[in-house]
Amino acid sequence: MNPIAIGVFIVIALLTLGSGIMVVTVRNIIHSALWLIASFIGVAALYLLMEAEFLAVVQILVYAGAVSILVLFAIMLTRQVTGEGVRVVFERWWVALLIALGLFGVIVPTLWKHGATWEEAAKLAQVGPAPVEGAANSLQVATATEIGRSFMGEYLLPFEVVSVLLLMALIGAVVIAYEERTRRRRVLTLAEELALKKRGIVEPRDAEGAVMPREAEGKVILLDSEQA
Amino acid sequence: MADALTQLGFASWLSVLIASIIKVTLILVGGSVGMMFLTWYERRSISYMQDRRGPNRVGPQGLLQPISEAIKTMTKEDATPRDADKIVHFLAPVVMLGATVLSFAVIPWGRMFPVDLNAAVLFVIATGGLHSIGMMMAGWGSNNKFALLGGMRGVAQLISYEIPQVMAIIPVVLMTGSMSLQKIVEAQNDFAGLGWYVFSPVGLLGFALFFTASLAEGERTPFDIPEADSEIIAGYMTEYSGMKFAVFYLSNYMSNLAVCFITATLYLGGGNGPGVDALGGIAGGLLSLIYFLLKSFALFFVMVLIRATVPRLRVDQLMSFAWKFLLPLVLVNILSASFWVALLRWDQQWPKLTEWFGAPSTADATNWGRLAIAIVLTLLINAGAVALIMRLTNRNVQKHLYTTDEELALGLS
Amino acid sequence: MTLSHLATEDVFVVERNDADFRAGQGMTKGLGIVFRKFRKALFGKPNSDRADTEGQFNVQYPEERLAMPEAYRNMPILLYDDATGHELCTSCFQCERICPPQVIHITQAKDPATGKPVPAAAKFVLEYDTCMSCGYCAEVCPFDAIKMDHDFELSTANHPELDVDYNRLLRPVSYYETIAPTMWSDVKEQAMKKLQNNIKRRPGDIGRDHGQKIKGGAPVAAAATPAAGAAPAAAAKPRGPVAAIGKNMPEDKTAKLLAIRAANAAKRGGGAADAAPVAQAAPVVEAVADAPAAVSAAPTGPVAAIGQNMSEDKRAKLEAIRAAKRAERGE
Repeated sequence: MNPIAIGVFIVIALLTLGSGIMVVTVRNIIHSALWLIASFIGVAALYLLMEAEFLAVVQILVYAGAVSILVLFAIMLTRQVTGEGVRVVFERWWVALLIALGLFGVIVPTLWKHGATWEEAAKLAQVGPAPVEGAANSLQVATATEIGRSFMGEYLLPFEVVSVLLLMALIGAVVIAYEERTRRRRVLTLAEELALKKRGIVEPRDAEGAVMPREAEGKVILLDSEQA
Repeated sequence: MADALTQLGFASWLSVLIASIIKVTLILVGGSVGMMFLTWYERRSISYMQDRRGPNRVGPQGLLQPISEAIKTMTKEDATPRDADKIVHFLAPVVMLGATVLSFAVIPWGRMFPVDLNAAVLFVIATGGLHSIGMMMAGWGSNNKFALLGGMRGVAQLISYEIPQVMAIIPVVLMTGSMSLQKIVEAQNDFAGLGWYVFSPVGLLGFALFFTASLAEGERTPFDIPEADSEIIAGYMTEYSGMKFAVFYLSNYMSNLAVCFITATLYLGGGNGPGVDALGGIAGGLLSLIYFLLKSFALFFVMVLIRATVPRLRVDQLMSFAWKFLLPLVLVNILSASFWVALLRWDQQWPKLTEWFGAPSTADATNWGRLAIAIVLTLLINAGAVALIMRLTNRNVQKHLYTTDEELALGLS
Repeated sequence: MTLSHLATEDVFVVERNDADFRAGQGMTKGLGIVFRKFRKALFGKPNSDRADTEGQFNVQYPEERLAMPEAYRNMPILLYDDATGHELCTSCFQCERICPPQVIHITQAKDPATGKPVPAAAKFVLEYDTCMSCGYCAEVCPFDAIKMDHDFELSTANHPELDVDYNRLLRPVSYYETIAPTMWSDVKEQAMKKLQNNIKRRPGDIGRDHGQKIKGGAPVAAAATPAAGAAPAAAAKPRGPVAAIGKNMPEDKTAKLLAIRAANAAKRGGGAADAAPVAQAAPVVEAVADAPAAVSAAPTGPVAAIGQNMSEDKRAKLEAIRAAKRAERGE
């Protein structure tokens, strides 16, 4: 790696780490989510520095573009956003620290072990792409083609397991949404409300005056025309 | 460019730096000037659609109108709400503009300035995805309920339409075998520069789907729900004025421009056209640039036409359109794209198959028999899917979801 | 009830519930319509047929203008005869009286030799900024001297400019004939006849100077004062209706009326039985003219009070009246 690349790496790494620290120390939870996005983008920049364009772009697309937005959505559904009087450091902070150190301890030896090949990969990247496809270093999984090949070949099983997991989540979401939908009656237009009222159908209401679903009948209220 | 600078005697790092600065400046200037032209173009065209003439006073045919308006906007007061989250409020337009400008980095301007990125297609989509962050920041940072509503709507819309948008590109990537925009353009150079993807059934459906999804991504009417003026003032831009509002405006139009560029590149052959190869050299490059710009601005004209015709969708219509209409069609299109690739290029894509079954009679992609079979097959699949979706979403079939006035009247009697 | 009677080629009835398969036909049709409108507006000829819905209807205003209807009225103007240069206005004060926002101010011309009123206006001021373009003045004018103009580009950055005097009010009859030919031809004959009669009663250049010589009220008074001695008495016509109006009249007008009456009485009686009202009215006018702030001892209190707030031209008017009266009395 040339000195410029190292300098850029240090800057990006510091920015990423700094935003990561801000995520856990900032009191305003929205700000913390925004810092999280910054750190995601920093990671993408690191990928880019390693000439893993595809990974970098996917990192931005999935993490910065989608995951963080879901996080923001979830935050905005919570009550307390500004975080006044929220404790940042909890009593059992050392548990979190242990877990983080443990993960670090798993990752670093792995990197250490493959360090030599990593450097080789960096050298390869500096020289240029592998002249013959297939003859490339198996560790240089940077381009979309190579990632695709390794997903469909070497790492097929993990890939499929993850796919099944995601599929389960998807089906679960559909099931939950579907149940919600059947229990809820569709919103009537004003004209339909009037029609119901004129035909003497009074909608059941709960104590607060909101319309209650008519579960006793096991089905939604239908107009004559709809039943026919 | 960096190489040329190095030959001139600059240090390598300096030449890289200078070249990058020049490129960035070109993109920024080109983007802003393009956006200015675009506002003029949109206003003039939509005026004629509404039997008006549009701005035609400032400069020849009103071409300098955007400049006068830029000056006006920038000299306005830059107000920040008292209880706003000042930093977030300030950063939101910056994020929006940054995301937009990034997407300009990979656009191949005809054959004049070839830019190649391995995952250029995904890059464009990813930068589009960053818009949602800016929107959310603007909506939340403004401390205004309309801004928040607009921001939420915008983010929901962007996330929903990102999925059909990304998946509508997959057929193109399949047919090309690459995600580089440069290679996608090269792959559409058959038939004397007219082998555009839009002329194939797969590409046609993909084009329609991608363009529709891109309209939603760019918040164009009929998908301008995040800034629905009649409902939520200006959405997430409600609390912005002066320079910051101008930046939002700039980013909106630049992203629309980028969408047009990308669509033209993906489906309309980019800078390809009759005569480009024949001319070659710089003349051919200029011709390709002209072709490219013509295609892009024709696409933008379609955007304006749609804006002048179609009213805004409701939020629930928007969501059901994305999930119940676009997504199934996009999936079917991927299927037919793989059939297309299998029929035309199986020897290239799957060497194993060739090993097993022997090479197809001719490996030429312009083999008319195979092309005809591929066209018929994909046309059948796509048309069938469209018909099926139309039928499923038809009011007659989904009658239990709708009540007409006549039925209500009958029910009353 | 169906929509079939409307289904011409311009009305598109999209039967939503009947078609089993509608692949965006409605939208395609709509796009087609909009594109057709675009094409016709861009390449088609300018269309002035208001019943049509397609084409370019815009008029490029400063270069192209729509023809005004003849009866369009914006601001009043005064006419003068092209041939002789004589103004049609006789300063009969009809317009000044009827003007709802009271923006017309006329000073009657006097014969410098005799001090007698001449059927012409010495000064005519109109406040365009307050004028409401009702056109009453033009309606009421018995001499067709005041007419409503078609010019509407009057905006200015200088507000006092909108107090328009003769210099900017006068237009030749031929101009009015171009903007409202039929309306002028209806009244042309009698207007010209009346003008000829009036010209006979106008000595010298009076009524023909287009306001060029009259700048401010002072010269009028100055002109009237030295000539006072030689002025022979001439019978002014009694103004019955004016006296009747007097009860509800605004104060400045009351003052004017009093002055006129006084002058008339002086002329008629020459110190006879109705000298009393003259004596009553005259000092009031004099007091106003000499010392505006002075509190008058006269019974017509309001008149004195006006003096403080009076505008320049009105004061000039009073000055003229006073000069005339001095001349009467000096005899």
